[in-house]
Amino acid sequence: MARKTIKVDYLARVEGEGAFKVVVRSGAVESAELNIFEPPRFFEGFLRGRAFTEAPDITARICGICPVAYQMSAVHAMENALGVAVTGSLRDLRRLIYCGEWIESHTLHIYMLHAPDFLGYAGAVDMAHDHGDIVRRGLALKKAGNELLALLGGREIHPINVRVGGFYRTPRRREMAPLAERLKWARDAAIDTARWVAGFDFPERERDYTFVALRHPHEYPFNEGHIVSNHGLDVTAAEYDEHFEESQVERSTALHSRLKGGGSYLVGPLARYSLNFERLSPLTKEVAREAGLGPACTNPYRSIVVRAIEVLYACEEALRIIERYEEPDAPAVPIEPQAAIGFAATEAPRGLLYHRYRLEPEGTIAEARIVPPTSQNQASIEEDLASFVGGFLDLPDDALRHRCEQTVRNYDPCISCSTHFLRLEIDRG
Amino acid sequence: MHEASLMSKLLSRVDAVARAEGAPRVTALSVWLGALSHFSAEHFVEHFGRASRDTIAEGAQLRVTVSADPAHPNAQDVLIESVEVEA
Repeated sequence: MARKTIKVDYLARVEGEGAFKVVVRSGAVESAELNIFEPPRFFEGFLRGRAFTEAPDITARICGICPVAYQMSAVHAMENALGVAVTGSLRDLRRLIYCGEWIESHTLHIYMLHAPDFLGYAGAVDMAHDHGDIVRRGLALKKAGNELLALLGGREIHPINVRVGGFYRTPRRREMAPLAERLKWARDAAIDTARWVAGFDFPERERDYTFVALRHPHEYPFNEGHIVSNHGLDVTAAEYDEHFEESQVERSTALHSRLKGGGSYLVGPLARYSLNFERLSPLTKEVAREAGLGPACTNPYRSIVVRAIEVLYACEEALRIIERYEEPDAPAVPIEPQAAIGFAATEAPRGLLYHRYRLEPEGTIAEARIVPPTSQNQASIEEDLASFVGGFLDLPDDALRHRCEQTVRNYDPCISCSTHFLRLEIDRG
Repeated sequence: MHEASLMSKLLSRVDAVARAEGAPRVTALSVWLGALSHFSAEHFVEHFGRASRDTIAEGAQLRVTVSADPAHPNAQDVLIESVEVEA
């Protein structure tokens, strides 16, 4: 058999995990479709047949940036199923670890992914050539969040110290002290961040969104509260499936979520902020106003400012929790398995994260359902693109692609870490 | 899961190269893995085995070079150096 060797020297790169197709007719956008190529990951399948106690560790592997969100939704859903309430210091520590995640995740998005869009750089590495001090501030701020995760979670990425009922080990008061010092610096850095991003040039685009987020009677939401909207929805996590539905669209491997009988909706910082402004601290509200935000924000490009405001809130809330922290008597409350169904929704940095589990009598997971924020926002991202791209059609293709990427990145979707992720196809007729 | 996207990209290139030659089958492949490509040789071979099933490159022999130089301009990349096909 004859063989022939062909020299290729081809770089196999993932050039994009998304493609955006716009059809323009008579100068107007006729259709806009965002296709996601990320392969399905089958986590709901992995969970079936595993013990309920394993869910926080398995689901943490879904995301390296927001593992705490997956752990929190998992443990709250299990505790909901098994009739356990975690209160006092253990509840506070869960709020604290979530503060750490918001700080590190939002800061990563603000400094490394989104700010370069506004300042005309291809990415943070290019931006660092001209704005080294600012990028270093971003890295130090992110580190403050990561240190909270390391102390409470046992390590910064994919923490291993969270369990159903509490933690495997809780920190001593003296271990918190050095964190408080760094968080005081982080609080000031967050204020500087908000002032910095408030000065960016924002396209004046507003949309009448249906915002969906948790709302708690007294607190800015992390782990608890009803699922509410600005159009009158007010339900518990147990009622989620009665009001929301997921569907498969042929062009994408990500499921699309919609409100039953309603349409697209938006989760994440804009929704959380607009539905919970009154629950922010006085300092956070003051800085938000100074940064040009009202009590609601409907310009998705200003989401970078809202993220900075939430970083500030998370720093303040973390300091408040650390100050009043009392070591709990036990690191976790005891839990007995039983046949049951449990639900929970918590606020991942990117928005509402819903988990539902059905357990067998001995605690084996029979069914798992996870609805992440990016899939809930997918329809809204497409509608933003369809609605805004019409105003940018005069731009050359490269500039238009950049604007589309920026529009998608407003959502901090799970695909946004590829700087040049979008293959743009414009059919101008 | 980024490996799956990368393998799909790599295999579509290998497929295009083989078809341009009118070759029925790819018999061997030489690849270079950058030091920061997040691939070890074993990891790459395992993913290739799975991704190449039912493709023109199924069963192809792999020659994998792993770079240890993180300062290489292509340190984050995977390079297809050559494709051997049935003539």
